[in-house]
Amino acid sequence: MSTREIVVENLTKYYPGDVRAVDGVNFTVKAGSIFGFLGPNGAGKSTTIKILTTLALPTSGSARVGGFDVVSQAREVRRIAGVALQDIGLDPLMKSVELLALQGQLFGMSRKAAVKRAHELLELVRLTDAVGRRVGTYSGGMRRRLDLALSLVHQPEILFLDEPTTGLDPASRRDVWEEVRRLNRELGMTIFLTTQYLEEADRLADVVAIINKGVIVAEGSPARLKAAVGTESINVAFDSHETAGRAGAVLADMAQRIQTDRDTLRLYMSQAAQAIPAVVSRLQQADLSPISLTLTQPTLDDVFLQVTGQRLQAQDAAQAA
Amino acid sequence: MATQVYTQQTIQLKDETSGPKVWLPMQIALLTWRNLVTIFRKPEALLPPVAISVFFLIIYRSTLGRAAGYIPDIGGSYLGFILPLSIVSSSLSGAGVAAQNLVRDIEKGYFDKLLLTPVSRSALLLGPILAGAVILGLQASIVTGVGLAMGLQPATGLPGLLAVIGLAVLLGTGFAGFTVSAALGSGNAAATQGASFIFFPLTFLAPTFVPLNLLDGWLRTAATVNPITYVIEAMRALINTGWDGAALGKGVLACLILATAMYVLAFYALRVRTRRT
Repeated sequence: MSTREIVVENLTKYYPGDVRAVDGVNFTVKAGSIFGFLGPNGAGKSTTIKILTTLALPTSGSARVGGFDVVSQAREVRRIAGVALQDIGLDPLMKSVELLALQGQLFGMSRKAAVKRAHELLELVRLTDAVGRRVGTYSGGMRRRLDLALSLVHQPEILFLDEPTTGLDPASRRDVWEEVRRLNRELGMTIFLTTQYLEEADRLADVVAIINKGVIVAEGSPARLKAAVGTESINVAFDSHETAGRAGAVLADMAQRIQTDRDTLRLYMSQAAQAIPAVVSRLQQADLSPISLTLTQPTLDDVFLQVTGQRLQAQDAAQAA
Repeated sequence: MATQVYTQQTIQLKDETSGPKVWLPMQIALLTWRNLVTIFRKPEALLPPVAISVFFLIIYRSTLGRAAGYIPDIGGSYLGFILPLSIVSSSLSGAGVAAQNLVRDIEKGYFDKLLLTPVSRSALLLGPILAGAVILGLQASIVTGVGLAMGLQPATGLPGLLAVIGLAVLLGTGFAGFTVSAALGSGNAAATQGASFIFFPLTFLAPTFVPLNLLDGWLRTAATVNPITYVIEAMRALINTGWDGAALGKGVLACLILATAMYVLAFYALRVRTRRT
């Protein structure tokens, strides 16, 4: 039995040419929790997961998975860890049961137990209809679910998911989320997941660490991170970017920070709700009529913007399109 | 609360399902079987080596069969003299099957998945190679069968033909060490295919059409150090002249030397590919 914890201390991974993929990362994932590692492409997420799952060696620092050292006790780590990498690793010529049963047998199960386990897992990820088909004929969502099932064959205590929903349609994405929550809730599995989707981290993770350029720039529960940013915003939409810009000039002194995003003006301020009447009357005086006006609580995107100076949301939208 | 209960259940299941480390021969058997199953699901890779070997067998016999009367030291029929070339070339190109399977796993990411299991590194290598050996044994048998259908009368009978096929398997399995090294080194199907074609010139730097003593100059030197020469000569003896311990011994030895060198290379390539960096 492992500790089901992940403890990472001063972890670095440098590549030749002074590329600092991971640059002194510290974090602890508590047993039975879901930890979200959030960051844009190339932030160091995949490198970290490769080190934690024994596929890569760190340059310096230490990482213990379930109490086992990822460098010197790689075999033990592999026994207790399940891994679904970003690039799905399936043989298109094999059938789902064959893949799962082989994996089980390589982990030391008898043929009978492995086949039984394969059918259990296919039920878990709802792939029982496709049992007789070769994996090559599966859709992207089905492959992702089978890959997830494959990582669960040996009853891992800690599960690593590298961008588990990248490239999936919204419905499949929700399926995977539900699956992840279920594994965590029902089996008490510790889950480490990387994502570049804010919504995913927000919905799934107990604790989120934001990584940018190899460094963790913020860490905490989604609620606490959002509270730390603290600023609510009033979003006012206009008929054009230009109108929004003029409105921005009129309202400049009212907000702590103003941002124009296409035809929408965002006014960041504390106690935004009380400020709404004043905003509306200023706009009327300037003869500017808004199309809509909404109030938003801070999001993880705001946290990301505050700590990195850039937005993750734009990437999100581009990926979804 | 619920978490506690399920956790205990998980641990129980774990004890029941994931036992001790799997016995190495069992790992190898599992991976060999898996490779064989997938090879037969992609039969289009299997037929060309056999078809090409049979084609050349017919062509050589038709173009050179008559002229063969002028070549001394053939020993028996020209068909029996040229058949080993076809068998050898089918077994060498058949050796590519092992590498193709391996490189597909690398390209599809399934190889990484296997690396995350407690499977032994040598099983990862021997699985595709042994599956390839089964395939090239079948291919050599088919080419031999075609020879029989064309009227071949082997001097050593059925046991001799089995020895011929055995030599083909031994040679092809050794050569598979080379193609598999290319697969591990490049991780790329096209490069692996390209490397496999080195067998083609090798079969001609040998006493391919005439006995070794009729070769001249550099070609004779090349043929003398080419292990394929000794395999072909051993096969010719078995088919055309009879049991010849010395020829057979040299053939087997040539296969073993080739295999040893290629397996050292393959294990080195495996080490490099699976080295954690």
